[in-house]
Amino acid sequence: MEFKLEAHRIVSISLGKIYSARGQRGGLKLHKNLLVSLVLRSARQVYLSEPCCPPEPPAAPRAPPEEPPPPPCAAAAAWAPGEPPPPLPRDEAPRGGPRRPGADCESPRARRCCCGGCCCEAGGGGAAPPLPCCSRKRGAGERGQAGSPVKKPRREAEAPPPPPPGEQEDMETGNVASLISIFGSSFSGLLGKEPPRRRRAPRDGGEAAAPAEAAAAEPGQICCDEPVLRTLNPWSTAIVAF
Amino acid sequence: MLLFCPFYHFFWKMKCFSRYLPYIFRPPNTILSSSCHAEADIISTVEFNHTGELLATGDKGGRVVIFQREQESKHQPHRRGEYNVYSTFQSHEPEFDYLKSLEIEEKINKIRWLPQHNAAYFLLSTNDKTVKLWKVSERDKRPEGYNLKDEDGRLRDPSMITTLRVPVLRPMDLMVEATPRRVFANAHTYHINSISVNSDYETYMSADDLRINLWNFEITNQSFNIVDIKPANMEELTEVITAAEFHPHHCNTFVYSSSKGTIRLCDMRASALCDRHAKFFEEPEDPSNRSFFSEIISSISDVKFSHSGRYIMTRDYLTVKVWDLNMENRPIETYQVHDYLRSKLCSLYENDCIFDKFECVWNGSDSVIMTGSYNNFFRMFDRNTKRDVTLEASRENSKPRAILKPRKVCVGGKRRKDEISVDSLDFSKKILHTAWHPSENIIAVAATNNLYIFQDKVN
Repeated sequence: MEFKLEAHRIVSISLGKIYSARGQRGGLKLHKNLLVSLVLRSARQVYLSEPCCPPEPPAAPRAPPEEPPPPPCAAAAAWAPGEPPPPLPRDEAPRGGPRRPGADCESPRARRCCCGGCCCEAGGGGAAPPLPCCSRKRGAGERGQAGSPVKKPRREAEAPPPPPPGEQEDMETGNVASLISIFGSSFSGLLGKEPPRRRRAPRDGGEAAAPAEAAAAEPGQICCDEPVLRTLNPWSTAIVAF
Repeated sequence: MLLFCPFYHFFWKMKCFSRYLPYIFRPPNTILSSSCHAEADIISTVEFNHTGELLATGDKGGRVVIFQREQESKHQPHRRGEYNVYSTFQSHEPEFDYLKSLEIEEKINKIRWLPQHNAAYFLLSTNDKTVKLWKVSERDKRPEGYNLKDEDGRLRDPSMITTLRVPVLRPMDLMVEATPRRVFANAHTYHINSISVNSDYETYMSADDLRINLWNFEITNQSFNIVDIKPANMEELTEVITAAEFHPHHCNTFVYSSSKGTIRLCDMRASALCDRHAKFFEEPEDPSNRSFFSEIISSISDVKFSHSGRYIMTRDYLTVKVWDLNMENRPIETYQVHDYLRSKLCSLYENDCIFDKFECVWNGSDSVIMTGSYNNFFRMFDRNTKRDVTLEASRENSKPRAILKPRKVCVGGKRRKDEISVDSLDFSKKILHTAWHPSENIIAVAATNNLYIFQDKVN
């Protein structure tokens, strides 16, 4: 159990580092962020290898990115490469009211894939269902936008649901992979287009528009508006931040 | 109080330069506290030139300060070999990459000297993106007595000149001027971490996180890419280049270290792109030491060839290792720098100290290696006697011309009087950069914004 807590703590620290790295002078440090992502992966592996995830407190406030994130088994799902954003109702499912408080990993929950973007219905039963939707890696831009349609109406205070147990190992590469692709995009010179997009004012009912923007965005670009950013959970926020 | 000397029987006398006023050496009792230093004054690189006559430092503010050793003088024998400020110049300025909306820091990452061929000195200095070749030259004479212009430089009317004279050189106050002779820019997408001058003295290499480029000193608008580890898909990135250096004698050979704790030796004769290594140095990981942070602490922060060219030394977070070029599967020597930190890795990860990049240096004869630690401690390891010593670069604890006292960190149990406990270590005082004179026992130690120069006391 101590390992789990330790892993959880390390995950939260790592996320804080990733998030705070975006404002660094001199640009992202590829080396440091690569190391942080490796630690993140190790901590997540340990956390997931523990027999069971602790139940989620019902009113757990959705912390800003600097504070400890929700349990990694939930957040870990966020890392998986996944499909393009599913239709809105499905995205809404795990995010707030409808989500059962105190849900644990065993329950069949809609699992968020790819940094809080699309949510793949895990299906019933305690067995870990394979997630076909998670097999395709998505560009960072899509990923970033995938969060926005879901997040806008939701309060930051609500924690995402933990995913089913027996999380797919193919998400592990997605974990690091998505992070790396984000760093990569930061360095690939495509950021030239990023700032104008970032600073663009949020549109009303922009959720529908946002995925379209994401689709239009070049791969590797991340576009996210400030208000949307605030409503995202820490995991997806950290990733979208880049 | 009994003062005892470090293990290899040398005494040290100290000289300290505060970065507040690089032009003036202030005796310890008037130097301002280092806790209120400016960020720009933090020393980021230290390097002796090939003769040891000059010592260059670079700082976070993009400045280079060069110290020169005093000549021996009969009149002031006690000042023999002291270093004083020779030249100061602004090497790099902060820049803004408009295309990527990124600010480029002016911090000097590395300085490397070129061997001297004439009266002028040449050095390479680099920040994250641009390498510059600087010429540092002295002027102590100026010509006087021109015919066509007078002493103020105003042109004279040729019709008014009735006699001709030969201009003569008259002495003037020594002026040291630094001029940028070459600017090697726009070749690196990622942050430059190393530069290394080739033994052919015609080329040098610059390494960033994913690529290494080979330059000719005369050509600034192109460079050859000799190593490229960028994956086609950045999502597959698993390691980055952390340091690179040319072999001291073989101009075709160089090494580069990675964040995975491996070293690759490459031969440029094999192919134009040296992605395939000639030798691969890696030590198998000790499974008993596995932790969340195993990968971070195995990342190599510095790699240095020995002067002989037979060995390479690598520094990772907790150890210094010496490798024989002829044995790839493990190092021949491993030295623990501060193993007491192994149980504190989580805290060090939290406060970012685990990412500190310590450098390591050889002495002139390759018998002693030195590296820095925290609390302004630095460590020396004698490869022959296997003895080691911990010294401190601190004004409070040493006066100029005092002998350095070995320090000891208490790892547990009863702490003796002179020992310091692990929990009392100041992790904000870190010695990342040190340099050793090429032939004598003179060391330069950079402690945040202060430069300490220690020399052995010859009896």
